[in-house]
Amino acid sequence: MFAFLTDLTVLPLLISAVAAISGAALMFMTYRRLDGNPLVGIALGGIAGAAGSLLFMLPLNYCTFEADRTPADGLLGLVLIVIGVAIVVLPIRWIAARLLQHAPLAGDITSPGAFKSRLLPAVLLAPTLIILAAFLYYPSLETFRLSTLLARLDARRTAFICVDNFTRLLRDPSDGQSILTLIGITVVLIIAGIVLLRIVARFTDQPLPSAPRRAPTVWRYGVALIIGVVIYSLVFDTVSGFFSDDYGQSLLVTFGISIAIVVIGLSLSLLIATMAYQPITGAKIYRTLLIWPYAISPVVAGAIFLLLFNPSGGIINYFLQGTFGLSIPWLNNPSAAPWAIIIASVWKSLGFNILFYLAGLQNVPKDLIEAGAIDGANAFQRFRHVVIPMLSPITFFLIITNMTYAFFESFGTVDTLTNGGPLNSTSTLMYQIYEIGIQNSDLGKAAAQSIILFVMVIGLTVIQFRTADSRVTYGA
Amino acid sequence: MNRKLVVLLCLVLLGVLAVVPAFAQDPVEVPVWIAFTDANRLGWAQDRAAEFNAEFPQYNVSIQGYANYEELFAATALAAEQGSLPAIVQYFEVATQVARDSGYFKSIASALGDRTEVNGIPVNMEDFIGPVSAYYTLDGEFTSMPWNTSSAIWFSNMNILNAAGIDTPPATWAEIDTACAAIMALPEAPEYCWTFPNHGWFFEQWLAQQDAVFANNDNGRTERATEVAFNSDAGVAILNFLKEQHDKGYLYYSGAQGGDSWGTVDQAFGAQQVAMTAYSSSDTAVYTQTGVENGYDVLASFLPYNDATGWTGNLIGGASLWLTEGLPVEEEDGALSFLLFLANTDNAATWHQVTGYIAIRQSAVDALAGEGWFDENPNFRVASDQLAGSTVTPATSGALLGAFPQIRNVVTQAVDTVLLTADVDSAAVLNDAAAEANTILEEYNLLNAE
Repeated sequence: MFAFLTDLTVLPLLISAVAAISGAALMFMTYRRLDGNPLVGIALGGIAGAAGSLLFMLPLNYCTFEADRTPADGLLGLVLIVIGVAIVVLPIRWIAARLLQHAPLAGDITSPGAFKSRLLPAVLLAPTLIILAAFLYYPSLETFRLSTLLARLDARRTAFICVDNFTRLLRDPSDGQSILTLIGITVVLIIAGIVLLRIVARFTDQPLPSAPRRAPTVWRYGVALIIGVVIYSLVFDTVSGFFSDDYGQSLLVTFGISIAIVVIGLSLSLLIATMAYQPITGAKIYRTLLIWPYAISPVVAGAIFLLLFNPSGGIINYFLQGTFGLSIPWLNNPSAAPWAIIIASVWKSLGFNILFYLAGLQNVPKDLIEAGAIDGANAFQRFRHVVIPMLSPITFFLIITNMTYAFFESFGTVDTLTNGGPLNSTSTLMYQIYEIGIQNSDLGKAAAQSIILFVMVIGLTVIQFRTADSRVTYGA
Repeated sequence: MNRKLVVLLCLVLLGVLAVVPAFAQDPVEVPVWIAFTDANRLGWAQDRAAEFNAEFPQYNVSIQGYANYEELFAATALAAEQGSLPAIVQYFEVATQVARDSGYFKSIASALGDRTEVNGIPVNMEDFIGPVSAYYTLDGEFTSMPWNTSSAIWFSNMNILNAAGIDTPPATWAEIDTACAAIMALPEAPEYCWTFPNHGWFFEQWLAQQDAVFANNDNGRTERATEVAFNSDAGVAILNFLKEQHDKGYLYYSGAQGGDSWGTVDQAFGAQQVAMTAYSSSDTAVYTQTGVENGYDVLASFLPYNDATGWTGNLIGGASLWLTEGLPVEEEDGALSFLLFLANTDNAATWHQVTGYIAIRQSAVDALAGEGWFDENPNFRVASDQLAGSTVTPATSGALLGAFPQIRNVVTQAVDTVLLTADVDSAAVLNDAAAEANTILEEYNLLNAE
């Protein structure tokens, strides 16, 4: 009955028509809401929708819908069409809306520092833009092209293989999980995520210090714990149900190591910064010394910790042996090795974090702390309810930079310390890309994985901005 | 006015400086990339290059070292992509098929033509010993210049073995087990009994010993290999043996794989954490010397084999030097001269003496034997004896297959999984590894086969 759907002459037209209609509908509503001419909206939306459907499908030549493709390929094709339509239609809708409301497109042009001519700023921006285009944008586009190819560094030919490089990262639907289960899990997860975000928002948006109907602390932490466990098991199940064994493990390893680096790194550096901020003799010397690790590259940090963790003559095991009678096989035990990476990375980023926290602490207004002291808050309460909230912009900034560090730069540490082993327990996404692309010369698969990593980091940043922005205090 | 004059003078000076070198007789640059960074090997090669440059001032051979074969292989692939290959690259034996397929290199035979000497250095190809010229003769043509050829052998710390009442190092897997039982029962027992680098080469050696091939089509020697064959009973036997030794606490596994595994074994053996180790004969000199310096006696012996299947032979390892295709005539002649110079009788003999790699020329072997070198240094004869005693079969000739470096990583990963996972089915792990390797090989062949 649906055989015509796989006919590659009818399908593209059908897809473009559906995309054009949805684009037109969306723009029609926007134009009607803002009192524009609905016909213009329909025309604009229709063209944009059709163009959006072609964004990915033209280069791919609708290969995801060929008859011998798996359902996962087809599903990915649909997702790509939706994303393509969104990429084209949404910015147009935004620009149209601004124009209809007679709002300026970019910032406040009449501010005193603005350029009079349009040429000069373009000329000033040109050098940066040209370099970005040559060394960033063009290679990124190449990555997209490479990701659809079977391409090896040690071969002179390439072969087009559609989205195989992506779908091979998913669990083979034939072993246990059907495509419907996958969709089911995704839907459940999205709903669960929305509900959980609502719950979290309800608990955290309450003004904490003086709220009269505040829930008891124990109860709040209990709920937080339950939410944490639910999220953890959901994530774990989805990852292992959705992705192939290798990629799923790499995802979990990356998130596990990254979260540990951020949480441990930030708590430790806040603690140390607070202590270094105390007016003691030689405070300046301490502060300078504390910042030093920042000047070391992740590779050197890895090399230093390779000596420290060395099973044959490492000082850490020597110390542990002497004090606790323990000898931890840091580098060949799958449960200990990630901790070696975490410890090395935390140490490496400590200096950077302390530097920012020290700067932040200097900006916490003294009168707020004094007011707290007069109201009878003890040192811990002043720290918890005055200093930490005042530091929230810095914490937010550090979470993002540390997360980026953990995702991308910890690669150098992994490479020198464990090479992704043992049992792939430290094979983060970034390291895996290096392993596949450089060590194994498999460019196509590495390109596909870097695109996924790229999308994830964008997603992560958006989520962080969305959830954290409301809680960050930027002013006194 | 003064300032203008100064500027003018500077410009003239700059111009002169830029022009002068153009008039001087510039030697032809011959860049060479090799996979060593240690003074023993990189230093030796650089000393030979300096000698060569002094003798032939029309050339300037410069040698650059890379950390290991895997890194050099990746760097070469990148350089080829960018069209900036050096004149000579050292490729390890498993990259032979890739080097053939790449089209970046010219065979030594075709570069020589019918010349019997280049710049006065005699060619004398017949002088290379059998297994070596056999490995690097492809389709009946001498393809790349052999340089460092080794075999996997066994090193024992005889002080520990003697203390446990063992006079001769174990020759089979069962003897390893018996020896380890005695060693680990010592009051001052080492932490572990033995270790090995988790490098694909050792799995391949143990496979060849059992006369089992790594890939189909006679190990890729009669026709291009299309499937791997290492998930045979012989392959499973290797994993089971390693697993059993690891579970008993005899085998030390550092967790490092491939090129990184060598260093961890050096440390464990050097620190006397283990009594015995499998290793490459390439480091015979270093291992023997470390023992002398630290007061223990190091004895080299054949790599122990599986008692159940017996010993057929071992494969060669190491690397050869490849000549880049499309060099200017002068540079190609310079590169050829250096290759012949590096492999002349004297250099082949000293290279063997400073490292432990096999003396690749019969004339060098004869000269060394004449000096009594092998009688004074019995450890140095083990590798060549082992190769000489090997029966030549497709299995012991070594595999030729595409994407071999990557497939090696799959094999070491399987060894890693078997050693570090409790209650694991070795056969299932090896079958999964074979399936993964077959996908890689299929993709490689799709892009490379005619």
